[in-house]
Amino acid sequence: MRISQFFTAALLPFSALAAKKPTGDRFQDSNAAQLANGRPLQLDDKSYDALTKGPRDYSVAVLLTALDARFSCTLCKAFQPEWEMLGKQWSKGDKKAESRLVFGTLDFLDGKQTFQSMALQTAPVLLLFRPTTGPNAYNDPIPARFDFSSGTDKAEPIHTWLSRQLPNVPHPPFVRPLNYLKIGVTITIVLGVITFIAAAWPVFMPIIQNRNLWAALSLIAVLLFTSGHMFNHIRKVPYVAGDGKGGISYFAGGFQNQFGLETQIVAGMYGILAFATISLALKVPRIADPRAQQIAVFVWGGVILGMYSFLLSVFRIKNGGYPFWLPPF
Amino acid sequence: MASATKPQSTASGVFFEGETARNTRGLLRIIILCTIAATAVASRLFSVIRFESIIHEFDPWFNFRATKYLVQNGFYDFWDWFDDRTWHPLGRVTGGTLYPGLMVTSGAIWHALRAISLPVDIRNICVLLAPGFSGLTAFASYLLTSELSDSPSAGLLAAIFMGIAPGYISRSVAGSYDNEAIAIFLLVFTFYLWIKAVKEGSVMWGAFAALFYGYMVSAWGGYVFITNLLPLHAFVLICMGRFSPRLYVSYTTWYALGTLASMQIPFVGFLPIRSSEHMSALGVFGLLQLVGFTDYIRQQLPSKQFQLLLRTLVLVIFVVAFGLLVLLTVSGTIAPWTGRFYSLWDTGYAKIHIPIIASVSEHQPTAWPAFFFDLNMLIWLFPAGVYMCFRSLKDEQVFVVIYAVLASYFAGVMVRLMLTLTPVVCIAAAMALSQILDTFLVAGEPAEPIEAPSTKTNDAKDKTVPGIPEVLRSTKGPLVGIYSYMSKAMITGAVTCYLLLFVMHCTWVTSNAYSSPSVVLASRLPDGSQHIIDDYREAYYWLRQNTKPDAKVMSWWDYGYQIGGMADRPTLVDNNTWNNTHIATVGKAMSSREEVSYPIMRQHEVDYVLVVFGGLLGYSGDDINKFLWMIRIAEGIWPDEVKERDFFTSRGEYRVDDEAPPAMKNSLMYKMSYYNFDKLFPAGQAQDRVRGSRLPAQGPELSTVEEAFTSENWIVRIYKVKDLDNLGRSHQDAGAFEKGNKKKKAGKRKGARVLRVD
Repeated sequence: MRISQFFTAALLPFSALAAKKPTGDRFQDSNAAQLANGRPLQLDDKSYDALTKGPRDYSVAVLLTALDARFSCTLCKAFQPEWEMLGKQWSKGDKKAESRLVFGTLDFLDGKQTFQSMALQTAPVLLLFRPTTGPNAYNDPIPARFDFSSGTDKAEPIHTWLSRQLPNVPHPPFVRPLNYLKIGVTITIVLGVITFIAAAWPVFMPIIQNRNLWAALSLIAVLLFTSGHMFNHIRKVPYVAGDGKGGISYFAGGFQNQFGLETQIVAGMYGILAFATISLALKVPRIADPRAQQIAVFVWGGVILGMYSFLLSVFRIKNGGYPFWLPPF
Repeated sequence: MASATKPQSTASGVFFEGETARNTRGLLRIIILCTIAATAVASRLFSVIRFESIIHEFDPWFNFRATKYLVQNGFYDFWDWFDDRTWHPLGRVTGGTLYPGLMVTSGAIWHALRAISLPVDIRNICVLLAPGFSGLTAFASYLLTSELSDSPSAGLLAAIFMGIAPGYISRSVAGSYDNEAIAIFLLVFTFYLWIKAVKEGSVMWGAFAALFYGYMVSAWGGYVFITNLLPLHAFVLICMGRFSPRLYVSYTTWYALGTLASMQIPFVGFLPIRSSEHMSALGVFGLLQLVGFTDYIRQQLPSKQFQLLLRTLVLVIFVVAFGLLVLLTVSGTIAPWTGRFYSLWDTGYAKIHIPIIASVSEHQPTAWPAFFFDLNMLIWLFPAGVYMCFRSLKDEQVFVVIYAVLASYFAGVMVRLMLTLTPVVCIAAAMALSQILDTFLVAGEPAEPIEAPSTKTNDAKDKTVPGIPEVLRSTKGPLVGIYSYMSKAMITGAVTCYLLLFVMHCTWVTSNAYSSPSVVLASRLPDGSQHIIDDYREAYYWLRQNTKPDAKVMSWWDYGYQIGGMADRPTLVDNNTWNNTHIATVGKAMSSREEVSYPIMRQHEVDYVLVVFGGLLGYSGDDINKFLWMIRIAEGIWPDEVKERDFFTSRGEYRVDDEAPPAMKNSLMYKMSYYNFDKLFPAGQAQDRVRGSRLPAQGPELSTVEEAFTSENWIVRIYKVKDLDNLGRSHQDAGAFEKGNKKKKAGKRKGARVLRVD
């Protein structure tokens, strides 16, 4: 199994090259293979070493990645199509190969030794080997490394980075292809919705004019925003976290932290409190039966007290020095 | 106080009747409002009592300096003020790049007091301006809420909520001499005038609204909120089919006069007709003309076909106008959205494109505890109040709903915009609570339902606007009232408890969180007595007294205004942040090696470098914690020379101890912060109390700057930039030479000792 895998992997570059007669020049061979494949070269340990060893009069951009499902590297998977698109466009746009740049991809499964020799713990890693000889020779043998830590998974920043690193060669522009399917789907949906609204206007009109609907929408918006939903959205906080003992921690410690679930709980508490207030103010005085009214007052008053007390106790978790509380919590 | 004496209430008093009752209630109202204003002022005085009458934080120091300039040099000089003591060597056209409303207001108060022979120090006016205006804000929210609600108590409740809500106190304690100090009053009062104008359709109220809108524009950049909220209100009313001559008159008056007024401010200039932020106001103005025209024609010619034609015409014109707008925007005649405004909608925008905006702590998103901290129980009364606005959805209540939704969104995106949310929260909460109080505080008992189910209505609350037959689900039944005294006592008691808790919460928050001047820090000694840490002022006064008056001080921009205000020395960058490149230059100087930084400092004629260091005291707001932002901002301009990645360890940690990456250890900021710090501790024991890490045994060495001053608790450290070496060597060589000498001597001695032993 292993041998066969190695075998096929070793054969890969040759099979790609078989389309065109190898000339012996490493750059021209690789570039021709890349053009024939229409995507960056698929490398393994051996071809990686062959391609990047010096002296070298061309540049190599290698993406070290881990695409296998076992590694569950979401960034690798998200970035892979972008990378292939960029490689394809660059080599297509640079027909005369004046930039002398080869794109390659080295998956962890094919290049374990390379990963180990560089002591890489994370993926993806983008390395750029600049030429060591020739007119654009660069005297630093250490490859430049692109920083993925900002979480970018788009091709444009890579293109800018490559252009900056290779100042004296032409830079084929990167144009994001139009997604015709998406445009078509959007137009169809918009037209469909318009048609639907036009057709269902008599039914639709009372719905938009429904005051209860608008009241509900406004209240949901207000509750979402005042319970810190935008914070979750911007900071991308986790939904819940473990408490280290196998259980779930519902409330994040600290004043400036929160979990997704936590904000929903808080929004729920605000909602219950507001609903109880509305009931006390508007519904209770409309109950005609004195006994039922008495019970309603007790129930809603109790709900407010209990909920508010619980809210205060939750707030004391967030803010340790907070001195106020209400019974029962 | 005219409207305070008006008979607002329809609730029948038990003890008072007729004309006397009206007067009594009016008098009570005035007394209550005055008490509320006094409370609002008093609760903001913690810092003055605890510390002294001092200007707080950062921006207020600039405002204070500008006010002093205004008072000393007069209005016209102030208007044309070019300040060559900031942004060295660029300078700043200060008169044309600030909102003058705040300074002019305090200047006017100062002159008025002098005119009646009360010579008050301008500093005291500046310190007490914000509390004074908060009293007016409470009054303005009373007026606004009284317009929005029929209940006699809603206005008073809103006033007291507004007076003591921490969300507003946070920006208006004594000494917090910032634009927001007067802007919130202007915001609420402009809304009041607008509501009044829409209700009465009067040119006079519309003109007043425009006048105060102009004042608001002169006072705070947040005026854009009004500029967009009022058109949105008008637009929603049109969409609801509520176009009326009242709306037409009030909006057109406000827009025409208000735009003219706002263009008088040099900083705003032609923005109202060129920038996208103001386009909605212009668009709605145009739309109103069209709708008004159609309306007029329809009244004249009641033909169905003609109406259809007109509607099509309106639609076509709207589309064409919109296309024109897009065209103008694309061609560049209309300025695109400014970054600050744009980042409100696309929340990821600022972090990628404008790190300087993302770096400000006020511009961070708001976590839920901050809402509760600033508004306490109002935050859950708020949705209830918004719901009650839907009960009789009149024009003014539509305004509250729009304001509530928009302001909660903005407050969620940016902590600082909590300030614009607070008024509507107070108003809506007051409407909800007054509804409960009005229901449960009625002394009389309704009749039994068998006899008369719907006769007892204590208030005319259930009126709905004619033409909108629909009602909310919770208000379908006829109003009866509360039967048992037990229920009344229970709810009233509970509400009283909650209100007391609210007052205690507000006092506690104000006293603990919002009353620190941040120029002066307070701590408690073990015996409970207060210890004042006054390092900032110590350092600034050192600068003032020991350096040349034109010595340039380089520091991170946070301290620019304070250096200008307290030390009176020229600075390279300050909190105005108008020139990102200049700030990035300072960031680069701070985050690079000395060999790189020194030429930068020489080129900018820097004499002193000031850093803030909290490691000894455990003061977390220091420069090492802000350092990443300096790196990021510098990286934005020089991506090849400064790299954020280099300042993290290979495992992605931000460290200052032995494992700190070389870029970190060699940066000027790191060296200046920890220079000689290890000498305070036994060898190898140096401990940074903020980061909680042990520092390298060998402390950093400086060659191009020398320590000039370090404050008592090491919070502020000032370094003097060395002159060029006399022998033309680099400072590193010179330093190595000096050290080499010493080493040789030490070696000789050692050698001698060895010899003797042998």
